[in-house]
Amino acid sequence: MTNCRSHNPLRPFPATIIKIIDETPDVKTFQMVFDDPEVMENFKQKPGQVAQISVFGVGEATISITSSPTRKGLLEFSVKKVGMLTSALHRLEPGCKVGIRGPYGNHFPYEKMKGKDLLFIGGGIGLAPLRALIDFVLAEENRKDYGNIEIIYGARSVDDLCFKYDILERWPQMPGTKVYTTIDRAEQGWEGHVGFVPAYLEEINPTPKNKYAITCGPPIMIKFVLQALEKMGFSDDQVITTLEMKMKCGIGKCGRCNIGSKYVCLDGPVFYLSQLKQLPPEF
Amino acid sequence: MNAYIITRDNLRTWIDALIRDYTLVAPVREEEKVSLFKPVGSFTEIDLNYTNSTISPKGWLFPQTEEMFFFFTSDNQINLEDACKPGTTILFGLRPCDVKGIIALDPVFNGTYQDCYYQMRRQNTILVCLCCTRVERHCFCNSMGGGPTNGEGADLLLTEMEDGYGIEVLTSRGEELVNKYHQLFAVDGDNRVSKTRDEMGKKLASQFSRKVDISGIKEFLDQHFELPYWNELAQRCLGCGICTFICPTCHCFDIFDQSPDGESGVRSRCWDSCMFSHFTRMAGGHNPRPTKKERIRNRFLHKLKYHRDRYNLDGCVGCGRCINKCPVNIDIRQIIADLQEVARYDQLPLS
Repeated sequence: MTNCRSHNPLRPFPATIIKIIDETPDVKTFQMVFDDPEVMENFKQKPGQVAQISVFGVGEATISITSSPTRKGLLEFSVKKVGMLTSALHRLEPGCKVGIRGPYGNHFPYEKMKGKDLLFIGGGIGLAPLRALIDFVLAEENRKDYGNIEIIYGARSVDDLCFKYDILERWPQMPGTKVYTTIDRAEQGWEGHVGFVPAYLEEINPTPKNKYAITCGPPIMIKFVLQALEKMGFSDDQVITTLEMKMKCGIGKCGRCNIGSKYVCLDGPVFYLSQLKQLPPEF
Repeated sequence: MNAYIITRDNLRTWIDALIRDYTLVAPVREEEKVSLFKPVGSFTEIDLNYTNSTISPKGWLFPQTEEMFFFFTSDNQINLEDACKPGTTILFGLRPCDVKGIIALDPVFNGTYQDCYYQMRRQNTILVCLCCTRVERHCFCNSMGGGPTNGEGADLLLTEMEDGYGIEVLTSRGEELVNKYHQLFAVDGDNRVSKTRDEMGKKLASQFSRKVDISGIKEFLDQHFELPYWNELAQRCLGCGICTFICPTCHCFDIFDQSPDGESGVRSRCWDSCMFSHFTRMAGGHNPRPTKKERIRNRFLHKLKYHRDRYNLDGCVGCGRCINKCPVNIDIRQIIADLQEVARYDQLPLS
């Protein structure tokens, strides 16, 4: 007989917020730890997977896990305040209780990426899911398995840049890693690049040779990034993106995150461009 | 498998015994033209002379609203307590199409992630199917691989006979329900039950007002996502969602919390509908199915293609409820026929 207590995938595990980092005026990164150390130990996510975060009394939302699995003992979620649940989450403080269940979905093909150069292209909060993979390949134990890393990241303004410490300080110092940061409009005090991400990408003009391109950001950015990559000669099997969808159950039952007969919560959120082109344009 | 015959008097005794020993859920006539599956307290409450229930009996496995767990806060700790504790239930008098509906739901709630709420109810539920004795004008189960006397998937199959009911045992769980009260049953020695059922099946086969040809529809839809046809259909659809509410295979749900004080409360799920705009609308405002066109297409593709893609089962069992209740007469049989027409036109060589 099915045992509800030990196998109920819809029941979250209690967790505590241990630290909150203000990324931008509307994005916060939450560090969370399961209350039960055994649950923490057994939670083994892969880069690109998502989890369901509960604020009890308000509900649940699907959030990508932004910390790399190589970072043990805690999970990080970067959350933009856009709706009911994310607004409730933003009102919480360190020490507050939440619920977490997961990890759900597929993951970035980090095994296939071994021996390749990686080009990350992110916009705004879209850097959050990419960060899990960036930190995974940059982790000491994995770094030798991957080639050069290029990161192109943009936001509307300096204030809107997420993970400022990572993009401006930590990642540029890593061996074999280049970070290109841009903001949409010029600002006093900003000496970096100004312009949209797709245009900056064309300017940098990275070679597709022996490389995967991984992109996530606002739909309009993704659209033009994909066009630019195609122009540069990237094939549809070299381009990977991760999708956002409204989800409730996260386990392929509640029926709302389907694109054709695929459920983003089970068969995604990570798709090769070649796979996306096979799906109906309902995302 | 074994077959038995039970007299009308003994049927009454049997059902009253089942009511005593189990929770028995059976069709009850609520009012003129409204028949629902409800737990009953005695045989007299049951109405077996019904064509099909107004709302599908799926709610006994997947309730319209279901409490999932309670949460409590104390000393800054969150404690959760499961709400689901079902006992053994007999779903009595299900029509064949509704058994097929349950078979279509099974793989949705099974798989890598077991839905324990559905699974616990399903494992604790015995399905007693009752062959149809008439066909309504909107019935089309025989077009969807079923039939009014096809009880596949049930534990017991009942057929109304002149002098009582025939009972065919389809599973060992069904056998137990007979063995436990064996003195009420006579063994069907000369296959009278299956003969009666076959005759009824033949008689009813000629009574369907419409037969549709489903062949090739999925394959056509595999190749054609964009069709102007969905625009035409969307102009009629009101988006009221009644089709999803009464459908035996619709399984979409929402999850919500209720907490009067913010300290303790309950997390529940309730039926939801892909016909509603909020169903797929994300917090940031983006909606991958923004208009009725995308939503109605999604519903019919789910029934005719997606369910087949995922589970190799039809997503429609031909119960006809959505045809009967749609306020603007959207008829899935007509949609299938129209798609056949569109497919034929599509295959014409361009001159």
